[in-house]
Amino acid sequence: MAPGPSRSAARGIFLDQGTNLCSLHRQADSQPLRQQGSPEQKSWCSGTWEKRTPHMRLQLVWPLQSPGSFSIAGHQVLRISVADEAQVQMVKELEDLEHLQLDFWRGPAQPGSPIDVRVPFPSIQAVKVFLEARGIRYAVMIEDVQSLLDEEQEQMFASQSWARSTNTFNYATYHTLEEIYDFMDMLAAEHPQLVSKLQIGRSYEGRPIYVLKFSTGGNNRPAIWIDTGIHSREWVTQASGVWFAKKITQDYGQDPAFTAILDNMDIFLEIVTNPDGFAFTHSKNRMWRKTRSLTSGSTCIGVDPNRNWDAGFGKAGSSSNPCSDTYRGKFANSEVEVKSIVDFVKDHRNIKAFISIHSYSQLLLYPFGYKTESPADKDELDQVAKSAVEALTSLYGTKFKYGSIITTIYQASGGTIDWTYNQGIKYSFTFELRDTGRYGFLLPASQIIPTAQETWLALLTIMEHTLNHPY
Amino acid sequence: MQLRRQPLPAPRPGDPDPAAPLLVLLLLLALQGAAAAPAGPGEPEDSGWRQDAEFPRGLLSQAARAALHFFNFRASSPSALRVLAEVQEGRAWINQKKEYKVDLVFTTELYNPEEGKEHLGKCSARVFFRNEKPRPAINITCTRLIEKKTRQEEDYRLYKYMKQLKNLLDVVSIPDSHGHIDPSLRPIWDLAFLGSSYVMWEKTTQFLHYYMAQLSSVKQWKTNEDAIDFDYTVLLHEFSTQEMIPCHIHLVWYPGKPLKVKYHCQELQTPEEASGTEEGSAVAPTELSNF
Repeated sequence: MAPGPSRSAARGIFLDQGTNLCSLHRQADSQPLRQQGSPEQKSWCSGTWEKRTPHMRLQLVWPLQSPGSFSIAGHQVLRISVADEAQVQMVKELEDLEHLQLDFWRGPAQPGSPIDVRVPFPSIQAVKVFLEARGIRYAVMIEDVQSLLDEEQEQMFASQSWARSTNTFNYATYHTLEEIYDFMDMLAAEHPQLVSKLQIGRSYEGRPIYVLKFSTGGNNRPAIWIDTGIHSREWVTQASGVWFAKKITQDYGQDPAFTAILDNMDIFLEIVTNPDGFAFTHSKNRMWRKTRSLTSGSTCIGVDPNRNWDAGFGKAGSSSNPCSDTYRGKFANSEVEVKSIVDFVKDHRNIKAFISIHSYSQLLLYPFGYKTESPADKDELDQVAKSAVEALTSLYGTKFKYGSIITTIYQASGGTIDWTYNQGIKYSFTFELRDTGRYGFLLPASQIIPTAQETWLALLTIMEHTLNHPY
Repeated sequence: MQLRRQPLPAPRPGDPDPAAPLLVLLLLLALQGAAAAPAGPGEPEDSGWRQDAEFPRGLLSQAARAALHFFNFRASSPSALRVLAEVQEGRAWINQKKEYKVDLVFTTELYNPEEGKEHLGKCSARVFFRNEKPRPAINITCTRLIEKKTRQEEDYRLYKYMKQLKNLLDVVSIPDSHGHIDPSLRPIWDLAFLGSSYVMWEKTTQFLHYYMAQLSSVKQWKTNEDAIDFDYTVLLHEFSTQEMIPCHIHLVWYPGKPLKVKYHCQELQTPEEASGTEEGSAVAPTELSNF
C-alpha cells in the first residue's frame, strides 16, 4: 500500500502545541509513518522543538512542491482516539482510501495512541461520517489550517529564511536569534561526527548560551576558541560566526591545512555570545551593545561585557556609570554571559588560542588594553598578527591595522583577551571587522560573506601558528 | 587665522560666488607652504609650542578626521564628500595648556566611491586641539578630487532631484537594520551627512571622534523656497565612549552656497540622567552655529 503521489504535497506541517511530535518520529518500534521519513525530517525535530511561544505555530519543514496548485483552505486536523485494535484497523482502512488525500501526522499505531490526521476540505464530511458510523471518537484540533497558516505566514516569511538544511540557509543576510539557534541544530544534526552543541550557561533573561564544538576525537585536545557577538549590535560578527561554522564542516577533509588543524585540535565557536542583547537589537534598539542585566540603584540597563572581565577591572578604560555603554558592572564576572565563558575556559584548561570578534574598525589586536606594558610575547604576537592581516588583505584588499589594544584603538580595562592572556592563553587576539565608519554597525548584508571569507584567512593563520607552536 | 570665524554673507540668488573668500584663504595657505614641508621647530609666530616626539598614536587620525569634517562642511557639496584613506605623515607640538598643534598629510577617498574608479585625493592640514574643548581650529588644503564643473553639475542635479521629493516625513532609520539604503533616498543620506559633518567637526577633540551611524528621522523637508530646508535627527557614534548620541540638525542648502547648520545633541549620559539609551526627546535647536 504505497502512499499516493498526492500525499507528498504538504508533508510535514508540524504543529507545535507543546506536544512533541518529534519523539514519535524517533520511536523505532511505532508503526512507520506513511510519509517518507527523511534524515532532514528527523534532524529538524532533533533539537529545535523547544516549546517557544504559547501561540500555535505552523512551520513548513520543506517547501510545498507545487505552491500554486496546493491550497489548504478549510482543511481540518482531527485527533482520532481508537478504543481497541479493531478500531485501529478501521482507521488503517481509512488511510488506504487514497482519493481522500489524508495526511497522517501521527499514524494509526495501537489503542490509546491518538491519531492525528489532516483532512482536506472536500473529504471532511466523508471522514467524519466514516468515523461516526463506526463509533470512533475524534476531536477537531485545528478548525482551519489555512487561517492558522495565514496568521503565521507574516512572521514566517518575515524571518525570510526558514531553511531546512545548512545548504539552503542564506548566509548573505542577517538572522534572528531563533534562526541562528536553528542553524546550529541543523549543522550538528548534519555532521554528528564533527559537530556538537554545548550549553555553557543561561543569559540574564534566561536564554540558553550555546557553543559549537568541532572535534575529530581525542580527549580534551588543545583547543581554539572563537566568539562572535559579544557586543550585540555588531551584527556582521554573528553573521560571520554562522559562516565560519559552515565553513569548518565544508573544509574538514577537503582542505589539507585545515584538516591538519582539526585532526589535532578542537575548535569551540560561540556565535551569539550576548543573546539578550542580540534579541534586543532585533526587537527594540538596533544599536544596543551591552547585556540586558538590571543594575540595582539605576534605571539604566546593561553591562559592557568587554569591560567586565577580571583583568585590570575597574581601572581607567571603562565606566562606573551604569548608563554608559562601557559600564564595567559592579564587579568582575558579574555578567553571567562572561562568567559562563570564564568557567568553561577554567574547566577546560587546554585552550591554546582565544579569538574574540567585534566590529567595526578593521583591526587585529593583541593584549593589553588596560595597561601600556607590553605582553611578554609581544614580538611573537605582533608577527602572527602581521601574517594574519596579510592573509586577510590578500583576498579583497581590505586594509587592516594591527597592534596592541591600548596603542591601536584605546585604553580599555576588563577586556576579554587581557584576561585570557593572563590565564596563560598566549594566542589571544581581538578582531574588529569591517568597515571603517561608512556604515559602521549597519554594514550592508552584501558584505557579510566577503567579510567572513577574508576574516577566515586570518583565523586560519592564527590556528596554523597555534598548531605549529605548541606550548 | 581661524577660517571658521569669518562671517559668511547670507546667500541670495544672484550673489557673487561666496566661495571666493574660501579661494583666497586656500591661496594664502598654499603660499604659507602648509601643503608642503611642515614648518621647522620653534616657529617664530607660535611661542610656547614644543615639539612632542611621543604624541599619542591616534592623534594624527583624530586630526585628519576633524580636518575632513571641516573640509566637507566648507565645501558644502553633497556630491564631493570625502573620507579618510590614510595618514601619511605628521608632527605634533604641545604647549603648556596641553593644547596640541598637529601638521599632517593624508589621503582621502570619495564617500560615495564609484565602482572600479579609485579617486584618491591628498590633503595637508594644520589642526589645533584645545585640550578637549570642542571646535578644533582647522586650516586645510586638498588636491582636487573631481573637476569643479563636474562637481557643480552633480550638486545641481542632486538639488533638482531633491526639490521634487515629497513625503519624506515617514522616513525612518536609514540605513535600516540590515545596512540597506534605498537608492532613491541616498541623496538624503548624503545631505544629512553633510550637515552632520559640521556637528562632528565641532565635537571632535583629541580624544573624541564621531561617525554618523544612522539617519533616524526626518522632521521637516521644505523645498518651496530656493534652498533645501532639511530638519532631521541622526545618531552619531562616538568611538572612545562607544556612545550613540542623538542629534537634532537643521540645515539649509543651496548648490554652490555655504551650508547653514543649527544643531542640538543630547549630552552624554551622567549618573543623574539615568534614562536609558533610547532616543532623546526632540529639543528645539538652541546652539547657534552660523545661521
